[in-house]
Amino acid sequence: MKKGILISPIILFFLILLVFFYLLIIDRNPSELPSMLINKKVPTFEAELLLEDKIFISPGEFRNETTLVNFFATWCKPCFDEHPYLKKLSDERGLKIIGINYKDDSKRAVKWLEKLGNPYSNVLLDPNARLGIDWGVYGLPETFIVNSDGVIKYRLVGPITKKNYDAFVLKVKEVEK
Amino acid sequence: MQKILLTILIYLMTTQIVAINCYSVEPDEFLQNPKKELRARNISKNVRCLVCQNQSIDESSAALAKDLRILIRIKIEQGNSDEEIYSFLTERYGDFILLNPPFKISTLLLWVLPFVFLAIGIFVIFLHNNKSKKLDYNK
Repeated sequence: MKKGILISPIILFFLILLVFFYLLIIDRNPSELPSMLINKKVPTFEAELLLEDKIFISPGEFRNETTLVNFFATWCKPCFDEHPYLKKLSDERGLKIIGINYKDDSKRAVKWLEKLGNPYSNVLLDPNARLGIDWGVYGLPETFIVNSDGVIKYRLVGPITKKNYDAFVLKVKEVEK
Repeated sequence: MQKILLTILIYLMTTQIVAINCYSVEPDEFLQNPKKELRARNISKNVRCLVCQNQSIDESSAALAKDLRILIRIKIEQGNSDEEIYSFLTERYGDFILLNPPFKISTLLLWVLPFVFLAIGIFVIFLHNNKSKKLDYNK
């Protein structure tokens, strides 16, 4: 009994150490937060468009097909790196991608899309981050996969890259099923 | 020599205090009504900045923190209650946005475990005491 009491703190200490060590070595990004919007309907909002003189109304526009929603800005370097992969998704897979131009200068955004190509079916304006907050966005770029019922199924924080492109396409296919 | 060291120490301490009390709310964000402004400040102190995650949006100068501060003030002006504003934020960003985690089933361990450990500690000390008392009497 006495020995047990003496030894138990030491065992507890090593157990705690083990837990800490496990959390340290597993591949995990502590700054990445789970989205609250998974399996929820897309937010209801209205937004002006960058390239047309029209108003975009959600959730009306999220019907019939799987849609990506991509938050981007010209001041965001990872968005620049991600752009070719968005082009690829729209050109090769015919995916509908809605771009949300987050806190950006509209003139610059137009130039950017002229230069790099436009993978977006619509480009929405979000000058004061109100749409970003509605979608729970906290760092650019972020990409959401929305299914044909207008339900958000997946969120990627950070850019689509060479490394995660295939995995991302797999996610899209899963949602398309 | 001691005096110099003391003044340096006091200087460091006071500047440190000033540094601790700093905040990032910019004058153009202030609401006209001081009562409402105070409410906004109080809410901001409880809301985590998701960019620099150990700061509240009251202290952070990140762009998202500023956007959220402005949004909170707009919501206050629109007549929303504090609870409505908190639930607006947690619906979008989760409980993580609150610096003070709410008491829920998923956070039960977080709140209860310290007291469990305290109870175990008291129990162990009590047991130990009892034993040593007995030993004394036997002698």
